[in-house]
Amino acid sequence: MKRRGSGPFTSVKTVTFVIILLFSSSLPLGAESEIPGQGIDPATVTDYLVSIIRADRQVYTSDVVKRMQDQGIVLAKEDWMDKNAIPLPAQFLHRSSKIVAESGSGIRFRLISLWPIYRKNGPATPFERKGLEKILKAPDVPHRGVVTTGKKKFFQSIYADNATSMACVICHNTHPLSPKRDFKVGDVLGAIVITIPMEN
Amino acid sequence: MDTTITSATPSKRKKGLTKKLVLSMLVVGVLPLLCGLLLAFYQGTQSIKEVNGASFQALATETTRKLDLVVSDELAKAHQLASHPALIQFLENQRDALGEVSQADRDQLFQQEQQAWMAKNPDLVQRITQGPIVSMLQQKIGGTYIDESQPIPLITRSATVGLYITDVAGHLIASVDTNPSYLNAQEEWWKGAFHNGVGKPYIGNVGFNQKTGTYTFTLALPIMDSLRYEAIGVLRRIFDTKEFFAPSIDIIRFGKTGHVMLIDSRGMVLSCPILPTGTFISDKQLIPLVTPMKAGWTSATTDGHGGEEASIIGFAPLPNISTITQESTGLAWHMFVWQSSEELFGPIQYFFKWITGFGLLGVGLLITLGYVASHRISSPIRRLQEAARQIGRGEFHEPITINTGDEIEELADEINRMKAQIESTVTGLESQVETKAQEFKYLQESTSKILDGVPDPVFMVDFQENIEYLNQASKERFNLTNAQTIGTSFFQLLRVDPGIQKRLHDEIKNVQTKLSSTSSLPSENSAPIRDPLVASHQEDLDSNRQELKLNDRLYRYRWFAVQTAPDKEPSAGLVLRDMTEESLLQDKLIHGEKMASLGVLSAGIGHELNNPLVGVIGLGEAIQEEAESEEIKEYAKGIVQHGKRMASVIRDFTGQVGSQFIDTQTPVNINEQLEKVLSATKSLVTSAQITVNTQFETVPPVQGKPHDLEQVFTNVISNSLQAMKEGGTLEVTTGIRDQAIHIVIKDSGVGISSSHLSKIFDPFFTTKTQGEGGGLGLTIAHRLITKMGGQIRLESEKNQGTTCHIIFPITESRTGSRKE
Repeated sequence: MKRRGSGPFTSVKTVTFVIILLFSSSLPLGAESEIPGQGIDPATVTDYLVSIIRADRQVYTSDVVKRMQDQGIVLAKEDWMDKNAIPLPAQFLHRSSKIVAESGSGIRFRLISLWPIYRKNGPATPFERKGLEKILKAPDVPHRGVVTTGKKKFFQSIYADNATSMACVICHNTHPLSPKRDFKVGDVLGAIVITIPMEN
Repeated sequence: MDTTITSATPSKRKKGLTKKLVLSMLVVGVLPLLCGLLLAFYQGTQSIKEVNGASFQALATETTRKLDLVVSDELAKAHQLASHPALIQFLENQRDALGEVSQADRDQLFQQEQQAWMAKNPDLVQRITQGPIVSMLQQKIGGTYIDESQPIPLITRSATVGLYITDVAGHLIASVDTNPSYLNAQEEWWKGAFHNGVGKPYIGNVGFNQKTGTYTFTLALPIMDSLRYEAIGVLRRIFDTKEFFAPSIDIIRFGKTGHVMLIDSRGMVLSCPILPTGTFISDKQLIPLVTPMKAGWTSATTDGHGGEEASIIGFAPLPNISTITQESTGLAWHMFVWQSSEELFGPIQYFFKWITGFGLLGVGLLITLGYVASHRISSPIRRLQEAARQIGRGEFHEPITINTGDEIEELADEINRMKAQIESTVTGLESQVETKAQEFKYLQESTSKILDGVPDPVFMVDFQENIEYLNQASKERFNLTNAQTIGTSFFQLLRVDPGIQKRLHDEIKNVQTKLSSTSSLPSENSAPIRDPLVASHQEDLDSNRQELKLNDRLYRYRWFAVQTAPDKEPSAGLVLRDMTEESLLQDKLIHGEKMASLGVLSAGIGHELNNPLVGVIGLGEAIQEEAESEEIKEYAKGIVQHGKRMASVIRDFTGQVGSQFIDTQTPVNINEQLEKVLSATKSLVTSAQITVNTQFETVPPVQGKPHDLEQVFTNVISNSLQAMKEGGTLEVTTGIRDQAIHIVIKDSGVGISSSHLSKIFDPFFTTKTQGEGGGLGLTIAHRLITKMGGQIRLESEKNQGTTCHIIFPITESRTGSRKE
């Protein structure tokens, strides 16, 4: 399958890779030893990552989608693949997330919400649910912690995701599958979850 | 002949007009009808195509949405199954357990287990086909477990022919039956769904399943760990294609043949109420037309079901499922809606047949009504035509009566009026023609009578020299009757010498060609006018006034040309005048005149001789009385002189008289003759105190009798001398002017009045007193000069003197003789 808009994705991927490399190589480089716990705090790593993810999406939202739509060149639509349209900002994030996952680097990020339009985007674990509830009350404080699946350990940070533009609000308020329809600009729509494996 | 023409032509025309009218009605009526029919048929076909195409497209789109939902729902159900916490926990444990075993041990263990599975090792079979997970799976298929909110449709359960789960490495861990393989990591569906641990839904292509003996397709979903971080297993569900889709597709039927069909991008039939699953649509060329990634309709030449007739086909891809199938295998699923053309276009063909039937009926009606209508129009026209033909033949029996109350009736009235006018005009013309014919008859008779009244014979000869007409005088003269002469040859009638006949023949031709070459109609001036003073007419006159000897009589004749009819060759007319008596009389007169002139001469001679004679006598008497010899000698000398003079007079006279008897034509010296005449008239000249001036140039001699010329000069000079009784001047000159010998004798006498001048050559016309002349001098002069081939004319005015011009043309012989 063709990857549409590979430019931004590639940039995200590259940046992510750089971060990952920095992160993974900083342990031996910074301490010149393999002593665990001497690297960068994973919370700092996810902070770095979320700033890139947000920035990328922001650029796409304001510099691409908004401009294209304002100039009447092309619209952003959910069924953009079947139409002459471009992806919604949220879909942009989903697709870049998929590419990151398929790259095999191990890092995952995705959007979750307590009021997801599609059920798969709801909280997958009690930790995620708890995090979503927490950031609703304190959007500026990310919810962090170590989670396990079987014997595997992962570090997760959950960052509040606000409705930055009117377009986000309108879509979530009008989509037939949306369970909540009274969002306002600035409201927390959900969260960005970044998951980093704690071991190889 | 005439009757056949009059009967055949109108019947032909009658048919023509009727046929034309019927044809034009047909053209006017049928052509638009046919055009309308064809247009309606075309439009109908087009709109049927468009309407049906659009509705087929709509149906295809609708059906794809429905099917999309069915498949999506099935995916959701599978997803729900794959999200079962117990299953996830089991698979997480399995993953962790595998992670603790070395790769080599793991390979060996699974090799053994695969062999055990293939050998249907009861322990293994029991472990995989029983247990809590399998129970859960069986509940889902068997329908014992029903989710309150999301009941699974029974159809999908019955369509399921396989359901099993593998772990993170593709080993079978749970299955409802023993059909699956134990190791699946290398299977397409497994790799597709596992997607390198990221996980992705997978829908496989339809293919023949050996184990179930049916066409099946796979739906595989990754089973994600509890964090949804990575895939820890794969759930595969196998569906019997026909059974899965048939309940959604086969029930959609419209009309007798209309139905929907599900195909993939290769053209393989997934489900169709007519074609069996797994076959391909018959026309490969149809595949690209109906498998674009957009809904639409097409007008294809085949129907995809083996039929070769043109079809309308609506098509649409399954929007969501095709995204998954394309990502999985590269193929998309499409809906195909079709109805047979016969059924589709049946109504319009039926309608067309009916309309054609009505159209033919209409044509028949048009022809019949057209024939009746055209007959109504053409029959009065035919009557008009008949009437016009009668008028053309000059039959004016009765007026035409047509009561159609339209333009034709008006035309009939007009023709009646025209007929009346023509009738009156023709009647007037007839009477005029009759009058003219009578006039012509009278004219002919009067002309004939006038000509009969003419004492001279008159003949008319046509171009072939046959007699056309002859008058009474000619009949009497030549003892002829009309019956024996009209049409006979002119020369049979008048026997003449061959030489003369040739001359006459030439003259006839000459006259006739002259008229036909100058003018076709005889002009008023064509008759020659006898004007002796106009030199140019003289030759014509002479050529037309020749003399001819017939039956011992002398005739002067003249030809004239007559145009008797516009298109006919001109005829030659001949007038004969008997000149026998006149000629004799003239000869006598000439002789008398000769005697008279001889008398004049004798008187002159007498006078000449008398004077010396008196002298001789006187001298003789004197000699008788004179004795003296000297005196006698003197007298004798005088006598000798007188005698010599008398002798010279006599010599002159005798020379003159001697020449009178020369009767043959010889070259005559004009100057000599003039001199002779002048000397002869010297005495008259002297007595009348007349001065004579002569100026003679050397001129060639003329052919003739010397005496004739002498007589001419004598007559002319005598007249001049007589005109100068009171004295005057006589000028006599000869010379050559304009290639002719010119002799001018001019006096200063009393002249001739213009009224007399025209008659001056007429016989017996004279202005002289009794005893001076007989009035024949100039007549004879004219006659003699003409005979010699010359011309004579007089110019004079009262009291201004008279000039006589005598002209002889210089001929070759004359020129030659002059040279000699």
